[in-house]
Amino acid sequence: MDVRSWIAFVVASVTAFVLRVTKRAGTSLPGYLATRISPNLLFYVLAKLDRCVIVTGTNGKTTTNALLKSLVAQDEAWISNAMGANLLQGILSALLPELTWRGQLRVKRAILEVDEATLPRLTQRFQPDMIIVTNVMRDQLDRYGEVDATLGYLYESTRDETVLLVLNADDPLAASLGKGRLNTFYFGLSDWPEDDLLRQEVRDGAFCLQCGGELLYTRTVFGQMGHYHCPICLAQRPFPQFSMRVRERQEEVEIHEEIRLQSPIAYRVTSPLLGIYNAYNLLAACSAARLLGVNPARFEAGLAQFTAPIGRMQTFPGNPPRILALIKNPTGATMVLRSLEGTLNGDPLCFVINDADADGRDVSWLWDIDMESFVLRSPHVSGWYCAGTRGADMALRLKYAGINPAQIQLLENAADTLKVNAEEGGSVYILCTYTALHPLANRLEAMHT
Amino acid sequence: MRTQTIRIAHLFPELLNLYADQGNLAVLTARARARGIEVKVVPIKLREPIDYRQVDLIMLGGGSDREQRVVSEALASYAPDLRHAIEDGFPFLAVCGGYQLLGHSYELTSGELLPGLQALDLVTKAGTSRLIGNIAIELPATLKLARSTVVGFENHIGRTEHAHQALGRVLAGHGNNGVDHAEGIFLKRVIGTYIHGPLLPKNPHLADLLLSYALAYRGDERTLEPLDDTMEWLAHDQMLARLNVARKERLEEGE
Repeated sequence: MDVRSWIAFVVASVTAFVLRVTKRAGTSLPGYLATRISPNLLFYVLAKLDRCVIVTGTNGKTTTNALLKSLVAQDEAWISNAMGANLLQGILSALLPELTWRGQLRVKRAILEVDEATLPRLTQRFQPDMIIVTNVMRDQLDRYGEVDATLGYLYESTRDETVLLVLNADDPLAASLGKGRLNTFYFGLSDWPEDDLLRQEVRDGAFCLQCGGELLYTRTVFGQMGHYHCPICLAQRPFPQFSMRVRERQEEVEIHEEIRLQSPIAYRVTSPLLGIYNAYNLLAACSAARLLGVNPARFEAGLAQFTAPIGRMQTFPGNPPRILALIKNPTGATMVLRSLEGTLNGDPLCFVINDADADGRDVSWLWDIDMESFVLRSPHVSGWYCAGTRGADMALRLKYAGINPAQIQLLENAADTLKVNAEEGGSVYILCTYTALHPLANRLEAMHT
Repeated sequence: MRTQTIRIAHLFPELLNLYADQGNLAVLTARARARGIEVKVVPIKLREPIDYRQVDLIMLGGGSDREQRVVSEALASYAPDLRHAIEDGFPFLAVCGGYQLLGHSYELTSGELLPGLQALDLVTKAGTSRLIGNIAIELPATLKLARSTVVGFENHIGRTEHAHQALGRVLAGHGNNGVDHAEGIFLKRVIGTYIHGPLLPKNPHLADLLLSYALAYRGDERTLEPLDDTMEWLAHDQMLARLNVARKERLEEGE
């Protein structure tokens, strides 16, 4: 370790210690200070890893990361940035506690969630063993420029063909990263309960990346996910070595595995999370675990240990119970709303929309949420509440989706959503962006313990 | 003659929908319906013809460079009719990429030149950095709208220059090129702008202006009755306050 890195390490360790003692959870602060002092420290630590898996993509990174950890870390410890702090400083913050004063790592395996725009800066100097790309969709536009820019970052980061690449075959954008590439595996759904043909969603990959032709879908899952082909250049959805069958209202899913020169096998897994988007996260995690050599017979035991990351629709018990969900882009928000369609029964629905850097400063995405379908199918919302720095924008979004403005209430503070009450037996649903998530979760923890 | 239906042609929605154009359509539709006017949105896919007798307003949004290249290649067949329509006072809303496409050309960072519709005398060149952030502009006094500010978000690498009247003067943010304090273009019944967010929800006066343009083009000169826009102006004023721009209200001028 060079001197600067050592100083960076000392500063970060002291900071982490102070934060721990004063019980302030600043997830990335030690790593932030350390990267400011020495950009080399991160790469010094990464080089000490025996095994490193990177999870990236627009939606599902944190959940896939947590699922994969539960599958692989049954006998041996793995480091992970489970809190979703996925920029360089967050990654370093997760690794540093395992670094000894002699500069050795106590735990030499890591699953790291990495932001798509950050990934090239990491892979410039470090090659992991595996990269998983969950999907490529429209995120906060101001941070990424455009979907194409994101795809560019990912393409650049996955050119070393010694790295195992695990891609979503059902997403034409993510799948395009593997074209003609060695050491590439795909996962995808073979069957699912309901196709959505009528929803007005944004299809980000609706055009063939090879020839520009409009893709044809024989089946659709959500967003641009589905079974597609290009009628012009005949490009096709790649064959997924790992395919999953999801059945209506069943937690048990079936994975079929067919790898070249190996006999096909099939196994059943109980999904710990609801929602079709979580089926993809589970499938991505299981595919990666298989490629890392985990026996599928051990999947159940691992998943039993799984706890959902914060903001994935946890219920905070109480009177009324409150459910917290993170929303950060149109497809993710549409999926969260869709999973609420059958559940809401005269319950209030709150939105906390901030526009800090981590949330995305451009709130255009609120208008790409398929709010209209939700309003049509879920009339049983007792009240609509909006808060956050862009609460007024959300209120307008609701108004123009057809909600009576008299039913929409603008709250001054994000914390006011915790004062919203439900009728007897009901729950309060709170959908919020990233910077509102942890403050709300902390308050909810405090309220209910 | 009172118009029963406003028909909006949404050009190339399969390609140019990057900045929530659905939001602009939703606002136009709701505000027309509140006045008893139906709205019919006619999606026009690339290479499909536009029948100008069958539509009253055209909307053209933005896309990624890749998508704009696809569109640019097919624009030539639309250019003569479109130029003629604009000359004739046909109402047009063009946002971001759509605004750039109305001009002569868009020069990408690579030096590649994407030809535009050549409908307006404007040129766009890619800069070295993106102009990103919240923006507020002041509309020309000649418009005589109830409020003179427009707020929204901009995110573009293109630097646009033209000698026509701008849609507004930049009060906070970057505008056409980050240099001359002009934002957008305002010519005949064409509004071209980099402002999205989307444009119309927080700027109901612009939405109503476009609706009245669509009616006027068909000879219906009525004044649209005012709606309850408390929520719209609240969002508008919150953004002005954040940008440290004083709220500007134009005094009602006598007829």
